[in-house]
Amino acid sequence: MKYLVLLIGDGAEKLWPDQTDAEKQATMAKFGEFASACEARESVELLAGEALSDPRDATVMRSPDGGVQLTDGPYAEVIEGMGGFYLIEAPDLDVLVDLLTVLPRYDIQIHPTIDVMT
Amino acid sequence: MREEWGRLVAVLLSRFRRLDLVEDALGDAVEAAARTWPADGVPDVPAAWLQTAASRRIIDRLRTEAVAQKAAPLLVVESSRREGARVMADPGALVEDDLLRLVLMCTHPALAPEAASALTLRLVLGVPTADIARLFLVPEATMAARITRAKKRITGAGIPFGVPDASVLPDRLDTVAQTAYLAFTAGYSPGTGPDLLRAELSARAIGLVRVVLGLRPAEPVLVALLALMLLQHSRRDARVADGRLVLLPDQDRARWHADEIDEARRLLASEALRGPVTVQSAAYALQARIAAEHAIATSPDQTDWERMIVLYDALLAVAPTPSARLARSVAVAEARGPAAGLAALEGIEIPSTHRVAAVRAELLARSGDTDAARAAFDQAIAACLNDVERAHLESRRAEL
Repeated sequence: MKYLVLLIGDGAEKLWPDQTDAEKQATMAKFGEFASACEARESVELLAGEALSDPRDATVMRSPDGGVQLTDGPYAEVIEGMGGFYLIEAPDLDVLVDLLTVLPRYDIQIHPTIDVMT
Repeated sequence: MREEWGRLVAVLLSRFRRLDLVEDALGDAVEAAARTWPADGVPDVPAAWLQTAASRRIIDRLRTEAVAQKAAPLLVVESSRREGARVMADPGALVEDDLLRLVLMCTHPALAPEAASALTLRLVLGVPTADIARLFLVPEATMAARITRAKKRITGAGIPFGVPDASVLPDRLDTVAQTAYLAFTAGYSPGTGPDLLRAELSARAIGLVRVVLGLRPAEPVLVALLALMLLQHSRRDARVADGRLVLLPDQDRARWHADEIDEARRLLASEALRGPVTVQSAAYALQARIAAEHAIATSPDQTDWERMIVLYDALLAVAPTPSARLARSVAVAEARGPAAGLAALEGIEIPSTHRVAAVRAELLARSGDTDAARAAFDQAIAACLNDVERAHLESRRAEL
């Protein structure tokens, strides 16, 4: 099963600009730990993951009435706070949730992907 | 058949891992059984027959899917053949593990608690959707949709059919306990139909708690819940006579199961309930202590109703539910007379049940207000969906 993992909001973490250098280092280290934990876990593969730029850079695309409409504002609260994502292959939700506890305590949305070819 | 439902679902799920197919196939198999068994005779091992019939249907469906996808040989079926088919004739440890996996899957925290409870009742204990709807006070169509959605969510979200890590297991037990108690209630007082009690369903719910308690022997929530269930269950034989409901004061206490009462009282005295416990454990333990007060009274007039009120007040402090308030008002009426009981009943509303009206009717009758009692009985009779309970209400009304 493939899951899209969205890192949303700061959750229980201190806001990034408020963190001391040592705290920032510790936060960053968790991403490395997470990648290692994924690698070490059987049947789990980290397929993709990126940090996202400032939410204000996001574009919303809608296609009402056959046309294309682009707006500069994210329209969902979820997107407003989104700081990054992973695409992860994992056998089930329990394995994934277990791994995600390695990350900083962000609010996270987990969304399974589907294979549109089948 | 009902009591084998969960095991059959678990075994089929373990073999095929297709929740979307398993229940339908099992439903079809039960239907086929209803058609053929009366003519051909009941097979030696009915559950094994049902398992085989359901397996064939699932394999047929998988073949159809494979053809539709133009897939090559059907790997899932091949691998399950190599494993060898498990049959219900041997309910060994393997099957118990499957049953536990099924329970934990149905009570997974990624499911909404109500959806989890409904799903467990349906899949583990085979309770009809109509009765589950009644328990949750929603229309049957709503419940059917909720169960379908929960099943889709299990598949869609990747909720595993497995036993979680020991570190995660305790978190799952509260939901398992809630689920088991709802199932127990379904057997103890089914909402619809001609049976007042389906004791075997309650026994299965108790079995469910025992299975999980075997894994976590000192878990307060399970200890308290098992005590509560055993005390209520111990009265089953005395609750019905000639198809009629017998209320607690009129029950033949010699017919209460003393061994179950003893086990429950031992559980209530056990070390597991001495320390600080969760709200849910406390609520179960207090309800069990209330039931134990009834159990130790040798006759109704030996019941310590003032102590009951104290226990109900403690219960309402941790879990202020309308049904606990209703039960407290009955205790108040017994201790201090019908007028005090009616005053305690003031303002209690529980939609979709006849019980508040039934208690009010009884207390009005006792206080001699026959006209108001008759009106309250009419209201209770109109709202009561259980045949045996309704018959009881009708006879009480006729006695006025």
